[in-house]
Amino acid sequence: MMNKEALVQVKNLKKYYQINRGIRQLFSEEKIYVKAIDDISFTINKGEILGLAGESGSGKTTTGEILVRLQDVTDGEVIFDGHDFMYETREEEKEFRKEIQMVFQDPYETLNPRFTIFETIAEPLKIYGMKDKDEIYRRVLEVLQIAELRPAEQYIFRYPHELSGGQRQRVAIARGIVLEPKFLVADEPVSMLDVSIRADILNLLKDLRDKMGLTMLYVSHDLSTIRYLCDRIAIMYLGKIVEIGDVDKVISNPQHPYTQVLLSSVPVADPDYRRESIEIDDELPDQINLPEGCRFEPRCPYATEECKKCDHTLIEREEGQWSGCIYSAEDLPSGK
Amino acid sequence: MSLLEVNNLSIDYITGEGTLRAVDDVSFSLEQGESLGLVGESGCGKTTLAKSMMRLLPDNGFIKAGEIIFKGDDIVKKDKEGIRKLRLRDIAMISQSAMNSLNPVHTVGDQLVEGIRAHSNATKAEARKRAEEVFEIIGLEAKRLNSYPHQMSGGMKQRAIIAMALSLNPSLIIADEPTTALDVVVQDKILKKITEIQEHIKSSMIFITHDISVVSELCESIIVMYAGRVMEKAKTEVFFKTPFHPYSLGLKNAFPSILDIGEELISIPGAPPNLMEEQVGCRFKARCPYRTERCQKDEPQLKQVEEGHFMACHYPERIGEFTEKASKRETWEAVRERLIDEGGDGI
Ligand SMILES: Nc1ncnc2c1ncn2[C@@H]1O[C@H](COP(=O)(O)OP(=O)(O)OP(=O)(O)O)[C@@H](O)[C@H]1O
Ligand SMILES: [Mg+2]
Repeated sequence: MMNKEALVQVKNLKKYYQINRGIRQLFSEEKIYVKAIDDISFTINKGEILGLAGESGSGKTTTGEILVRLQDVTDGEVIFDGHDFMYETREEEKEFRKEIQMVFQDPYETLNPRFTIFETIAEPLKIYGMKDKDEIYRRVLEVLQIAELRPAEQYIFRYPHELSGGQRQRVAIARGIVLEPKFLVADEPVSMLDVSIRADILNLLKDLRDKMGLTMLYVSHDLSTIRYLCDRIAIMYLGKIVEIGDVDKVISNPQHPYTQVLLSSVPVADPDYRRESIEIDDELPDQINLPEGCRFEPRCPYATEECKKCDHTLIEREEGQWSGCIYSAEDLPSGK
Repeated sequence: MSLLEVNNLSIDYITGEGTLRAVDDVSFSLEQGESLGLVGESGCGKTTLAKSMMRLLPDNGFIKAGEIIFKGDDIVKKDKEGIRKLRLRDIAMISQSAMNSLNPVHTVGDQLVEGIRAHSNATKAEARKRAEEVFEIIGLEAKRLNSYPHQMSGGMKQRAIIAMALSLNPSLIIADEPTTALDVVVQDKILKKITEIQEHIKSSMIFITHDISVVSELCESIIVMYAGRVMEKAKTEVFFKTPFHPYSLGLKNAFPSILDIGEELISIPGAPPNLMEEQVGCRFKARCPYRTERCQKDEPQLKQVEEGHFMACHYPERIGEFTEKASKRETWEAVRERLIDEGGDGI
């Protein structure tokens, strides 16, 4: 990375949801929470793409939504470009919202079906005070070109249903970048798309980073696309980051047992490659009665008594590669 | 004799806007114990093909031509009773949405026992015993039979569905994206179980998926479909090393791998044709970098190029050249420019 300046700093972030547990609650004062995110910290440097991986329920989507302020936090800080954005006034908020945009999994749900492509992309410009019609038109055409919808004139008056899935995702990206944000959160942007066109969207996101210096959080359960697109990767498990680091290092030499399990489960399209998956119980533990100590301990093939004392502190095991396991990959115990 | 032989099968859907040919002149065969992967992009007809083999097409879907010879009899010609016997008994289907088809008011065990009894002459006790056995095989505790669907996770429900499908030792298992909604660790375990059982009971399998790497690991042979037709068929080992068809070559470029570092992914510009319209020439012509005049007019037929390796392209002698060019970005960029020049969408 040329530029090691932080754009996004997340510090001790927590997001708890209070839930109702029917009758039990009538007899008890005790509140029950799901700890969707439980004290995570990470930094995204300017011009970097961080991949956030994990199974469903690990908290990755919630993390992304908090960063674009679609959700409040329970506790912790998010510092964006030197600015603590959780506790700011409406005016400040409006200014900073413009800097942070999001692209979702299903563009069909996020694009207004009654808006033309032009209206969809022009809307944020109007909200942020651009009035000159020609200027708006020029800018919309410009971002459509950047999003590689060419020739842009051909698309501008279409409606979402007149576009293919890949084209819709490009429109969503065009809308996401029209205000020239500094930071983009993309949550599973290619998982609904056919393989034959996925690469286009991944390459587009790459280009936005390379050419416009856009910083990104790429949320996905798909480790192969993370490897392709991202500089660094963070692996989440039940609300905790268990490993974070340089994407090639983490994927070629995973430190945390959970990362190892996850990677060993990914099928490989190479008939000569003999994949050995690490056998574990595939049921997630109850999200409410979380295990004491390491959250992965009940399923971990290497767990020992010591793991009950683990508090998920990230330890730098290789340069730029941090793991929340109390053991390093080389001296994992033989287990129970 | 092959277990299954599909000959020149064509299937139409009648819709408000016209007739759509979802499967067009498809032929292939499946040997006893063979597992076949069926891949291709959304809408190419995989599910339609799978459903036709169990005669489960929706009301507006019709088999227009061809035969589906299963154990010597044509499924297309079977009557209601014949079909009833066939389902579950001989052919079992596992689909992605199946886990939502469990009845919420009955325990999973009751549903499984009922299913077994409806398709065999087992007593209640025998059926219960069989249910416990299949649960164990699929990796669920027997006590889970007493659970209601809402008490189970997605992975457990999908396992229960698979247990049901396999409880009567079907000769053919059709799995249509059976693990798409599940997390990778669960998917991996369930897929292992399915193949284990399939090998154990020596049934054949048709496995439908978007994920070609799953086919690479699971299946002996692969069929690539495009816009209702078979474009390529081969042993998986051969296919993943040397795909022949320009469409397959494009797919290979587009597919990210966990092992790869630094290799650039390339999409196939354009989109599949509208199947409501009559198809002239090769269906891949709009997106094919190598198309000629001939491809515009003549539909290529599936032909054997090498032992056991079939392709539907007019130019088997140019495979070497195609393969070399397909790995270059410019080759596909030229297709994009061509699409734009022709006034279509370059995406
Ligand atoms: N009930 C229906 N009525 C009309 N057209 C249909 C119907 N079901 C499917 N089709 C159309 O038939 C074609 C083949 O659909 P099919 O579901 O078999 O594709 P698929 O390969 O299984 O796709 P996917 O990967 O998305 O599951 C598509 O063009 C689809 O839109
Ligand atoms: Mg389908």
